[in-house]
Amino acid sequence: MKDKAYASMIQTARDLFEDLSFEYASKWKSKDKSRRVIGFLPIYIPKEILHALGMLPVGIFGAGDRLPVIKGDAYFQSYICHLPRTVVELALNGNFTGFDGFIFPSICDVIRNLSGIFKLQLKDKFVRYLDFPQNFQKNIGGEFYRSELDRLIADLQGLNGKKMEPKKLNDAIKLYNKNRQLLKDLREIKRDRPQNISAVDYYLVLRAGNTMSVEDHNDYLEKLIELVDKIDVMPEDKIKVIATGSFCEQPPLGLIKTIENAGCYIVEDDFQLGHFWFPEDIPENSSDPLESLIDMYLHKSTFSSAVYEGDQPKGELLAEQVRDLKADGVIFCAPSFCDPALLDRPLMEKALTKHHIKHTSFQYHENLGQFHVIKEQAGTFADMIKLWE
Amino acid sequence: MDYTLGIDVGSSYIKMALVEYSDTPVVVDLVVEKIRKRNPTQLINMAVDNLLKKHDMLYDDLLYVASTGEGELVERKRGHFYSITSHSRGAYHFHPDARTVVDMGALFCKVMSLEAGARVKNYAMTGQCASGSGQFLENITRYLGITIDEVGPLSLESKEPAKLSGICAVLAETDVINMVAQGMKTPDIVKGIHESIARRVVSLLSRLKVESPVYVTGGMAQDVGLVAMMNELSDERNLNLKIAASTSAVGAGAIGAAIWGGFRHYKLLGVATA
Repeated sequence: MKDKAYASMIQTARDLFEDLSFEYASKWKSKDKSRRVIGFLPIYIPKEILHALGMLPVGIFGAGDRLPVIKGDAYFQSYICHLPRTVVELALNGNFTGFDGFIFPSICDVIRNLSGIFKLQLKDKFVRYLDFPQNFQKNIGGEFYRSELDRLIADLQGLNGKKMEPKKLNDAIKLYNKNRQLLKDLREIKRDRPQNISAVDYYLVLRAGNTMSVEDHNDYLEKLIELVDKIDVMPEDKIKVIATGSFCEQPPLGLIKTIENAGCYIVEDDFQLGHFWFPEDIPENSSDPLESLIDMYLHKSTFSSAVYEGDQPKGELLAEQVRDLKADGVIFCAPSFCDPALLDRPLMEKALTKHHIKHTSFQYHENLGQFHVIKEQAGTFADMIKLWE
Repeated sequence: MDYTLGIDVGSSYIKMALVEYSDTPVVVDLVVEKIRKRNPTQLINMAVDNLLKKHDMLYDDLLYVASTGEGELVERKRGHFYSITSHSRGAYHFHPDARTVVDMGALFCKVMSLEAGARVKNYAMTGQCASGSGQFLENITRYLGITIDEVGPLSLESKEPAKLSGICAVLAETDVINMVAQGMKTPDIVKGIHESIARRVVSLLSRLKVESPVYVTGGMAQDVGLVAMMNELSDERNLNLKIAASTSAVGAGAIGAAIWGGFRHYKLLGVATA
């Protein structure tokens, strides 16, 4: 049975998820005058750099169905996804007042243009569009990425006067390595005993990691993993699926719950992909820790619709993941109008079909409130596999 | 003997079927409980306990407990089957000649075309609007001052059915209130409602290009006027379908879930069953 301590910890994560005024960040910042809060958009940023400079990275993943969009719609055409609308709404409503800056990683044109809107609308804030290399040779992509990070560090240093020191960056790498390991431990439990933590609870825990400081999240995860590990409940007869395509605009909690209730245990997803960007630890004692971050990005990044696939087709990697996890199928759930996810989907579907892996697909937007059609689709997908495969 | 239990949680009723599972499953018991304003989860637990007691069984004696419908409200279960799959199997159990099944419940109407062995080949369902649902019909009976059981026979008496809005339950309800105020005969109003609901279902049948025979499951299958109207409209469109209420129509979902539960149990063990 799941006890009160478990419920209370999940409630903590839920409260952080619900809080659009970012009170946790404000409290964190108020403890030291030199502290700065930097918001970042999906998917991945090198948070270790922010930590080494005494800054709190806070993930900005839109507002789901918790905020009516009034002003945000005026900035985007109808064929643009929903996430930037709630982000603009939050910005214009003053929800980011306590933030000192924002990093917009390169993922798509919409996010790049969103950085432009922030530059125009929030003139007193630091705003940076962070370009990532799509060439993975050290002397080309590596050089480019170093110049981007050097420029980022130089500008961030100007926000609180702190200097980047290799020791502090190594310390931050150590903390985030620990965080990644704890998250992987939790993910292992979720894969082996999916009945111990629901997909929604797991998601909330991951989301909390993009709001809390890494120190707090590490403490939180250690306690939670101990509780989750002890839970003793029988698994239900459900299929195991990988959900993919939701790495930027986030699926509503109701959608995640719907997939699970429709008979699917989600054993892998990309909802909070940034946490799992690297499959292994970053070297912790390098004399040039920035080089370590760069090398990891060039050679160890996970596959993603935001990264050029080079000679490793994403569809094949997804099929490999299905085999490794012994998943029964794949659910493509992408936000409407998400170019990166929807352009990749046909290629991935083709690869899965080639490998005789069952898949289904649907689209959502972050403020979706009706899940009946999706429940029907996921439910029949699960039944088909359970009964006739 | 292998026993399986199917629990179908609807928005108005909970249905439970105890099945003796084999290649030729037998329905041992069927329980139907109206939820009224009770907590559905507590009601399910209570009903399961009562059913087991009645048959002198323990929970662990059940090979597989399967939910269908709003399955998340069932605390103790091994698996869940979607209502499309369950209703198809439930109707097929009584009618192995079934090529099409129409599930008409309180909130949605679903049409499934079947392959051999009750495997769902294709399906379609009504959208969000409640005007094609049993809940809508139940609401209307209150305006008319009749019981739900009277609806079917009254409809068959009508000679001049009323014309209702077929698009929206809210508009259709307004239409009915106006008709009552104008003194229109109750049978004509009821048949008008049936026509409005049946037209939607027949459109789905036509869209899916289904084959005959068609069996109707769910609470609305008991409405003889509605089934008659579906046949009438199907003939009007030359669909050449024979539409009839399924045996044990209300319990079809629960029965189907229980049977699939047994099938799944043996499939997991690597043993093929019918």
